[in-house]
Amino acid sequence: MQPAHIVVRHWADWISASPLSQWLQDQLWIVPTSQSIHLVMIGVVFGCALVLNLRILGISTSGRPVSTLVRTLVPWIYFAMVVLLITGVIQTITEPVRQFITPAFWWKMFMIVVVLFATQWLARSVRKDPEKWDNGSTRPRTAAIVALVSLALWIGIIYCGRFIAYTWELHL
Amino acid sequence: MSVEGLLAVLQNSTVGRTISGNIGSGWWFANIETLHVLATSAVFGSIAMVDLRLLGVTSRDSTVSRLSQEVLVYTWVAFALSVITGTLLFISKAETYFHNLQFQLKFLFMALAGLNMLMFHFGTYRRVLQWDNALPPPIGARLAGALSLALWICVIFMGRWIGFKT
Repeated sequence: MQPAHIVVRHWADWISASPLSQWLQDQLWIVPTSQSIHLVMIGVVFGCALVLNLRILGISTSGRPVSTLVRTLVPWIYFAMVVLLITGVIQTITEPVRQFITPAFWWKMFMIVVVLFATQWLARSVRKDPEKWDNGSTRPRTAAIVALVSLALWIGIIYCGRFIAYTWELHL
Repeated sequence: MSVEGLLAVLQNSTVGRTISGNIGSGWWFANIETLHVLATSAVFGSIAMVDLRLLGVTSRDSTVSRLSQEVLVYTWVAFALSVITGTLLFISKAETYFHNLQFQLKFLFMALAGLNMLMFHFGTYRRVLQWDNALPPPIGARLAGALSLALWICVIFMGRWIGFKT
């Protein structure tokens, strides 16, 4: 069996040579446009994540109850994640080697999966027992940990995303 | 000193050369830029929340004044961080950025967004208590929200485009 990095490089080269990737590579406006839309949606996700998680952590003491924030903001997070997935796939098909050979890319993907599970767990727990979650003294103790980890993950995801551009050539 | 002279001084200063990687580890620019992305994301996300409420699209169970109070703290803290990190990035390539069209447009859009905010604040928002709950919000509020959203999206597009043109 071949080592993993050889296998992913093989996939990347295959995608890169495909007619779709070739066509995308010729449209020079596509990557900057897709990345700009990607950034707008990162803003939506990160803004929602900050407001929601800092409220759960009790750092923001004024404002709407946690259950209202979950009901309002989590659907926006999911909506933005769909657009992020679409633009991310476009960028990956256009420049597959750059993404696949870079550890920052795989770290980012891993953290996205974890943070989505954390978000879904949070949203489900809050919907099941909103009163308990709205009151800071009856909120489960795991809530603060999940909120803190989620925030750290979102920051890590954005960090790794930006660092794909700065580190990929080191792995060529 | 001329503007060109000042730009050269900034770019050739120890701070400028450290960030651009002429001296030192070479990782300052990447890290400061990532912090800039984090900060500007928080600026946009929090502003978008208020803008969408002004449009009557989301957060409809909260009054406009209450939502502003809750969210705009994030905007200003993140904006301060954006200004600090943005200034540092500017210093590292002052001559290039100053003459870059996308950079100039980014500042034009930010100025317009600021003007829009001021006009709203000293206009429609002064009577906010009369329409705090109204759905849809008055035309002045909806217009300000739509303009703000559009202008900040333009700011992000230009910001991203600077990196492809420098």
